[in-house]
Amino acid sequence: VSAPGVSLDVARELRSICGHDNVAERPVGGVYVCPGSTEEVAEVLTFANEHHLSIGPAGGSTERSAAELRTDIVLHTNRLTEVEHYDHGDLTVGIGAGATVAQLNLMVGADRLLFAGDPPMPDRCTVGGLLATAVYGPLRHGYGAVRDYCIGVRFVTGDGRRGKGGGRVVKNVAGYDLMKLLIGSYGTLAVITSASFKLFPSPRQTKTFLAEFATANEALQFRDRILRSPLSPVCLELVSPGARKLMRPEMTSDTWVMCVRAAGSDAVLTRYQKELGSVITRELEGDSEQRMWRAIQNFGYAGDGRDDARAPELIYLSVWPREVPDVVDTLLKQSALSGVDVSLIGRVGVGLLLVRVADKEAGTAAIHKLIVVLERVFGDKITLKLRGAVNPWPIPPTNLASMRAIKQALDPNNTLRGRNIF
Amino acid sequence: MPSPAVLAQLRKIVGLDALLDRPEDLMLYEYDGGVRKCTPAAVVFPQETRQVAQIMKLAGSAGFPIVARGAGTGLSGGAIAPEGGVVIAFARMNRILEVDAGNMRAVVQPGVVNQQLSDSVAHLGLYFAPDPSSQKACTIGGNVAENSGGPHTLAYGVTVNHVTGLTVVMPSGEILRFGGKAAECTGYDLTGFLVGSEGTIGIVTEITVRLLRRPENIATLLGIFETIDDGAKTVSAITAAGITPAALEMLDGWTLRAVEAACHAGYPLDAGAVLLIELEGLAEQVEEQAEAVREVCFQQKAREVRRAKDENERGLLWKGRKNAFAALGRLAPSYYSQDGVVPRTKIPAVLQFIEGISQKYGLRIGNIFHAGDGNLHPLILFDPRDPHQLELVQAAGAEILERCVEMGGSITGEHGVGLEKRNLMPLLFTDDDLDVMLSLHNAFNAAAVLNPGKLFPTTRMCRETSGPSTNPVLQAEGM
Repeated sequence: VSAPGVSLDVARELRSICGHDNVAERPVGGVYVCPGSTEEVAEVLTFANEHHLSIGPAGGSTERSAAELRTDIVLHTNRLTEVEHYDHGDLTVGIGAGATVAQLNLMVGADRLLFAGDPPMPDRCTVGGLLATAVYGPLRHGYGAVRDYCIGVRFVTGDGRRGKGGGRVVKNVAGYDLMKLLIGSYGTLAVITSASFKLFPSPRQTKTFLAEFATANEALQFRDRILRSPLSPVCLELVSPGARKLMRPEMTSDTWVMCVRAAGSDAVLTRYQKELGSVITRELEGDSEQRMWRAIQNFGYAGDGRDDARAPELIYLSVWPREVPDVVDTLLKQSALSGVDVSLIGRVGVGLLLVRVADKEAGTAAIHKLIVVLERVFGDKITLKLRGAVNPWPIPPTNLASMRAIKQALDPNNTLRGRNIF
Repeated sequence: MPSPAVLAQLRKIVGLDALLDRPEDLMLYEYDGGVRKCTPAAVVFPQETRQVAQIMKLAGSAGFPIVARGAGTGLSGGAIAPEGGVVIAFARMNRILEVDAGNMRAVVQPGVVNQQLSDSVAHLGLYFAPDPSSQKACTIGGNVAENSGGPHTLAYGVTVNHVTGLTVVMPSGEILRFGGKAAECTGYDLTGFLVGSEGTIGIVTEITVRLLRRPENIATLLGIFETIDDGAKTVSAITAAGITPAALEMLDGWTLRAVEAACHAGYPLDAGAVLLIELEGLAEQVEEQAEAVREVCFQQKAREVRRAKDENERGLLWKGRKNAFAALGRLAPSYYSQDGVVPRTKIPAVLQFIEGISQKYGLRIGNIFHAGDGNLHPLILFDPRDPHQLELVQAAGAEILERCVEMGGSITGEHGVGLEKRNLMPLLFTDDDLDVMLSLHNAFNAAAVLNPGKLFPTTRMCRETSGPSTNPVLQAEGM
């Protein structure tokens, strides 16, 4: 395979680095390569950088399909799965970027520990992908973002240099915090090859309390009551009537549901019951509880078929918590105006909403109109990301110049151009 | 060294009463909480962001280095100016600009004292979680620069976990805003990158912080042990029992006797070690965890487990812990505080190692530290008037930190690298790793106008930080 405009055999070179079986030609042109170590990743990036070839890193293709990457080389992390360190007594783990979140949770779960990252499709989503996209699930409410519990990262920069930030211990301020820089940078600065995380004790038992409301406003008043109370649930999720029907097609009611997941002993769960009061209409435990949270975790993903042109658009909105009612109201009004079906769920305690726009074809224009309206009405009170887009930030970051300076420092030839953010 | 003409320009920027350049005034700014000293050429006290930007531009054009300073409580020399450098002191930018309880945020200037912020939002049932032992004096600007921790970071994380937005004056003099009040940012996480960059990338002039709701109930327990080893083993036994205390602190017997003499906190004088364990949350949960912690302590051969009966007793126990460094000042003219970290299961082994180092060098070393997250603070007592002792102390300290790294840990958990540990960075990072960090440094601060000589090693680096090659601090120290 020769990349356009490059007179050398890219596949042959990559095979000499990663082995014959770990390189394949792509039907759309270019090559797939699966390095087996950080050293090999560094060699691949050095080679690409020197020859001005483009690279797009890929994990489980849950956020953006590898098939959609229009780069000369698609670098798969699937062979980088080695456990670097794990001692359950330390509540830390270090693992290769290509391991899936489900694999990681299986390993630490055996010791009654929890990895707090709960992205959509955890059996496909890789640790590297989770970091690169900063994606989150319902546990984001109680355990924070991955930036809060990622304690170390190893990576290779766009120009092929091996680097490291942080380490293996939960508290460490030696050197620049490169975890923060790489988390959510969508693989535009470096290829993450492994990472270390702080783990949490698994809750011995949980229970989920559901409360139904006729309007979003009433549901959010209930949220405010919980936030002012001494309760600290592990999840606090708002589900719109449309979202509920997507997850449970047999449901016919048009109510907004607040889902409060509590962890603790019987006495603690009884206290939740008492504090939440008569507004609770259902309590879930065991399998039915697990099923419900899995559906919320996979909202907008499972069964959507990312390669399908009609897959839904998903907007990740981060809103000042107090603005959530107005933002929801605006979304509903815009949905009614444009006739495009909008459904949403969200970690509303910390101001996060996932907005699903049903039909990609009909939705693309509508979604951009929606984003324009949100930006006009709410200004800096919101930030948003578009799932799977070539540029995940439809409202451009205000600090592009600083971002460019960082890009220039780590990837001067723009080798990592699977996304186009500048 | 800024010329008289440059000093006149600085006065014009900040005002006649906001610049110090007399030797007797500058002496107060030549040190921080660490052991290094260097007298700055001048100290300026800006009152607004715009002035900081003007100072930065002047420094760039006139070619003098600058360093930001909060309360000077730092322990790694981060706020020490290089000779001929100008200190930007934030004592007059000390206002809480906004408390937004609805969004659980506050916007503060860098000179706001850490404790002051928590006090000012206490009536709303809120507080700011990072709580360094120096919280009565240290500033939030300093906390941001060093990514400070404190006892309660075990459950709530360090400063970076509580900062969502910054206003920053870059070395170019540009004023930028990173992040904001929203939980997630658009673009790269520049806020996260800036926090803990030790004043080498930009000077922060406004900080948006996350506030937390005060817990319903708090239980403070004192586990008393015959030996330091029993106490150390209890630390990982508590987390193995599935309990994450809000704080889990350890004092060895020798240190607690010194602390008791100074603070009368109620610590037992004949114990080998104590653990100070704090549990927070719902009343039911706190009671259950307190019982579970007692059980674990007794399983690990605790002699006694006491519980603070009221806020007064709790305050006393914490007073002992938070004033421990000062208490040791009664025993020796000075101390050298280390900040190594080990995985928590390695605490018993590293404490034995420190005991060995104490004997090897003939130095008295007290241990008082954040045991829950393996963050050690061995305090090596010495007399700084004896140059031989200082050498011994530094050698002993380096040996301890080397051992921490060998055990999978770090050279600093919360104090920062600064001047003090810059040459230990190669223990943790390869030349390649440091080269990547250096390229980020040079992307913003290539001329090294801002806080030169910090964080990066002066030895074993294939490349030096660019900019003025005459870094007097390095030359003076022969490093």
